[in-house]
Amino acid sequence: MTTATAALGDNLGTLAGTGKLLRFHARRTRLYLLGWFAGLVGGTWLIAAAFPNLYPTAEDRAGYALTVDTPAMRSMTGPGTYIDAYASSTGAMFAHNMLLWTGALTAVMFILLLTRLTRADEETSRLEVIRSEPVGRRADLAAALLLAAVAALVLGALIGLTVLGVDGADAEGAFLYGAAHTAIALVFAGLTAVAAQLGAYSSSANGLGFAALGASVLLAAVGNAQDNWVTWLSPIGWSQLTYVMTPEQRWWPLALGVALGLLAVWLAFTLVAHRDFGQGMMAGRAGRAEAPASLRGAGSLTFRLTRGLMWAAVITMLLLGAAYGSILGSADEMLANLSEEQRQVLNRGGSSIEENFAATIATIDALFAAIFGLLVVGRARKEETDGRGELLAAAPVTRGRWPGSYLPAALTTATAAVVVGGVSLALAGAASLDDWGSFGKLFGASVLQLPAVWVLTAFAFAAYAWLPRAGWLRWLVWLYAFVVAYYGQLLEMPGWLQGISPFDHIADYPAADVEWLPIAVLVIAAAAISALGYAGARRRDLHFS
Amino acid sequence: MNAVIRTENLVKRFGHVTALDHLNLEVAQGETHGFLGPNGAGKSTAIRVLLGMLRSDEGRAELFGRDPWKDAADLHRRLAYVPGDVALWPGLTGGETIDLLGRLRGGVDKRKRDALLERFDLDPRKKGRSYSKGNRQKVALVAAFAADVDLLLLDEPTSGLDPLMGAVFNECVKEAAEAGRTVLLSSHIMSEVEALCERVSIIRKGVIVETGTLAEMRHFSRSRVRATLKNPVRGLADHDGVHDLTVNGLDIECSVETAALDDVLAQLAVAGVAALTCEPPSLEEIFLRFYGDELAASGVPNGEENGS
Repeated sequence: MTTATAALGDNLGTLAGTGKLLRFHARRTRLYLLGWFAGLVGGTWLIAAAFPNLYPTAEDRAGYALTVDTPAMRSMTGPGTYIDAYASSTGAMFAHNMLLWTGALTAVMFILLLTRLTRADEETSRLEVIRSEPVGRRADLAAALLLAAVAALVLGALIGLTVLGVDGADAEGAFLYGAAHTAIALVFAGLTAVAAQLGAYSSSANGLGFAALGASVLLAAVGNAQDNWVTWLSPIGWSQLTYVMTPEQRWWPLALGVALGLLAVWLAFTLVAHRDFGQGMMAGRAGRAEAPASLRGAGSLTFRLTRGLMWAAVITMLLLGAAYGSILGSADEMLANLSEEQRQVLNRGGSSIEENFAATIATIDALFAAIFGLLVVGRARKEETDGRGELLAAAPVTRGRWPGSYLPAALTTATAAVVVGGVSLALAGAASLDDWGSFGKLFGASVLQLPAVWVLTAFAFAAYAWLPRAGWLRWLVWLYAFVVAYYGQLLEMPGWLQGISPFDHIADYPAADVEWLPIAVLVIAAAAISALGYAGARRRDLHFS
Repeated sequence: MNAVIRTENLVKRFGHVTALDHLNLEVAQGETHGFLGPNGAGKSTAIRVLLGMLRSDEGRAELFGRDPWKDAADLHRRLAYVPGDVALWPGLTGGETIDLLGRLRGGVDKRKRDALLERFDLDPRKKGRSYSKGNRQKVALVAAFAADVDLLLLDEPTSGLDPLMGAVFNECVKEAAEAGRTVLLSSHIMSEVEALCERVSIIRKGVIVETGTLAEMRHFSRSRVRATLKNPVRGLADHDGVHDLTVNGLDIECSVETAALDDVLAQLAVAGVAALTCEPPSLEEIFLRFYGDELAASGVPNGEENGS
């Protein structure tokens, strides 16, 4: 035995059991993986199938190219090189519009996957049991990363197969498009593996991962808006810079992603040996010995527990409002380049293209704001499944206060999100239009969406109260409202089908005059659904595990 | 007469599983009542029905003479509850959680709270997510014992506590009993129940199979008699009240029914006794008697024969 082989053996020792853990991880995350695969591949397939029909001829695409070629639109899509290829290839247009978003969702999938398999397991002491088996110190990280790598390859291959049929995508283009997702997956799996070593808890590891994702999206947006080098600073940008499905298609930018991924993996493996089990490199702080005066009941506890979501909502809506608002200014340029049919699609009866846009954007904004209301309702369920609510349910607290206080918390969060999004949209919109008179219109258009947001949030609460296990129900309804708002006109859905969505009943202000009756009806509906929810909360068994 | 807890033919089903099958439980005011049963026997389900978290399918449950489902919030003012597996809010410190639970009941007695923190040796500044199992348990125990309530519902409260803290817990329960509080202590730690409880109910598959004082229960069980005799004894094996007799020269050992103790001791005295021990049955033995068939099914000899 030479010292070299002994050292090698020692190194391999810390990886012992990786294969077994890999199979174990694969088994327990199969539903998670299948769900994400289905969502990403299914979404890609749906839109890939719809695209050729939306813009069938080269002239259609060339016309659309002109409207997209503004800094604001590029920041929400991708580099200008794709736009030049719009006329010759539907694939280029598809990749240009999709890659930023499916890329970002892929990153979310792998951030959550990695924390789930590493730090989250340490916190619940599941991993402690595994570590006591003949399993090396680095084996769980190695198994998690291997599983992520396999999942990244499978996802890339599936997406490649899905877009194979898109016009303008040869086999190479299709699989490069898939590989662009694989590269993003590898980067964010690697970065989250590092974050998992740094964060004090799994939630902080997730936070670091999402911060990296946010920075990537922002850098790509800034770089693409100006069509300059800043895009090269973003891992998502690297995938866009392959110029996939354009004549300038190339593979090598993906090498940057693979290199960063490998570097991050190396760093994570180095760090994992330097921290204690269950502890991050950044330590948590000691807290208060006594409760602050503000924490005095179930309601104030609910608001405190959902404070983080409130902040997330405010920041997201600030950014979203600013992003949409800044496009409004270029609406004029778009108008000049639009065909008569396209104007028809956008036409909501307003006197100007800006007003039509504003009405659409206000609805989309409100739908995003509603997500946060739904997330707050989801927290109520989590309090139950995690057993924390048991201490409150055994205290002198009525069902109306717990879990009932999650409804006002959800409504407050969603309302704040709509209002902040409205202010942000109105400010950015008025600035980009250079017309401060439009501030009131834009803000009004946003705030008018509130009754529909309340209906959606109240429905989520009622669904939780009556059918606690069917958490998917609230998301299904949200998705339906989203599809109606985004694609309802395009897909020529019948009016009654669109009418199921509460957002369909809100007038397209400022494109049309405000109609108060439907708004009053929505408010009453929200109140009635809330009352139904409270009745359910009082009626059912509470199950704590 | 004045029962704090009373259930009559209480039934609770979860789908096809009957968790409580006509459960009759009664706990008098001021009593410390042991609630014994293995995991899955229905202890926690019974307590959650009493807390109004679960609605019973049949029968009646009463807490202080009122319906725990309808008047849950009101009744909770008079009780404190410690679950067997305390889950805490990861972002709240132990101190914040204790204060919150105290304020929900109308206020915190800071002196009492701090004294309990000291006795349980608990650091209130740590976040919920960083407490160990035992420390999470302590947070709920401090909150419960600090509360000025009439009834303590304790569902396997000492799981995860070390023996030192187990002793502190026993003291706290005794103090609560002295202060006139009613305690329902669900447990499968026999020594704890034996040390604290006057009356005991044994639950099996959702039914109370035995309830009474420890003395009563012992009366219907067999004592373990060991003796070293001066002369050999005859006829013991033929006695109806004597079981599991082993004779090893002049040393004998057997289980004796309470009614047969007179006879057996007289016979031993005739033979002349050099040494004698007579142990009343432990709670564990009484308990295992009700689970003898389950033990046999899993290959363990019957509890009573297991005594040696």
